Amino acid sequence: MPKQFLLLIIFFTVLFIIGVNTGDLTYLLNLGATICLSCIGVG
Amino acid sequence: MPRLRWLIQTLVAFGTNAYLLFPFGGSVIYQGPLKAVCHPGLNCYSCPGALLSCPVGAFQNFMASLRFSTGGFPQMGVIVVGYLGFIGSVVGRLTCGWICPFGFIQDLLHKIPTRKFSLWKPLRWGKYAVLGLTVVAMPIFLVDSSGLGHPWFCKLICPAGTLEGAMPLLLLKPSLWSTVGWAFWNKLTILILILIGAILISRLFCRVICPLGAFYGLFSRISLVQLEFVEGNCVECGACSRKCPTGLVPNKEIDSPECIMCLKCVDSCHFRALDFGIRRPPGKPVKVKRAASPL
Repeated sequence: MPKQFLLLIIFFTVLFIIGVNTGDLTYLLNLGATICLSCIGVG
Repeated sequence: MPRLRWLIQTLVAFGTNAYLLFPFGGSVIYQGPLKAVCHPGLNCYSCPGALLSCPVGAFQNFMASLRFSTGGFPQMGVIVVGYLGFIGSVVGRLTCGWICPFGFIQDLLHKIPTRKFSLWKPLRWGKYAVLGLTVVAMPIFLVDSSGLGHPWFCKLICPAGTLEGAMPLLLLKPSLWSTVGWAFWNKLTILILILIGAILISRLFCRVICPLGAFYGLFSRISLVQLEFVEGNCVECGACSRKCPTGLVPNKEIDSPECIMCLKCVDSCHFRALDFGIRRPPGKPVKVKRAASPL
């Protein structure tokens, strides 16, 4: 298994954990619960 | 292998859009806890059946509200980058070939028997421009007076959003028609062009426009899984390149960011010159397999 891969996995896992602990998960949940007006083409 | 891929694509497409209560519930979209998870492929979260969030839409919204944050830790979307980066590091663009619902739709359309065309290769750079401009830069910098940006890829381009989100929602909630504007007609035109394009050119959207494919493509040279090429077994018959949906010459372009790892090339090679496996550390050569008889 290449060393580069392991470093990347650690890096992205840390990013993910930071996201979970800084409220990104709640943001994502609220976002997903609303209809995306941009997707519909409002404007 | 092709049957397995079709099976997985079908199961993922229907399985991740399996919310069937939208005609009966209070809201026309699923609003449960699964929406905290992003789909690994391009799948509009406003699709009435969608169980998961769209990673591209989510990331743009994080970027769009970056300046809007008031107090506390700014929401920078690192959860989406971490999630997609993890997937990219492990499987790269295999997600495009096996998991992405919009890729599956394009595969189905390309089965329509018509004359097929090849893609002018420089157009492949387009997806990186789309990623950099409409997904990252424009949502951050094109903001209104309150500091709020827009998800410009969703607003201007995303054909998955038009097909899976806008069209079903406009059918289910006719009152939304009063809100649509030029952006809808612009996106509808793009959707029609892309769907026609997918019939004529294999995986047109994935190769030219898809920002998610561009992101996963960044991991093509370092992802854990990879295509392996056994040079000694190759007779340069060209069978692999004739099967490649992204117009690659697999025996010469191993680890290309365009490769969606559909493994059609592996199936087409009777000499076992191509295989699929775990990447070896630099310096460790690919294990030479005995070439099978072409008959």
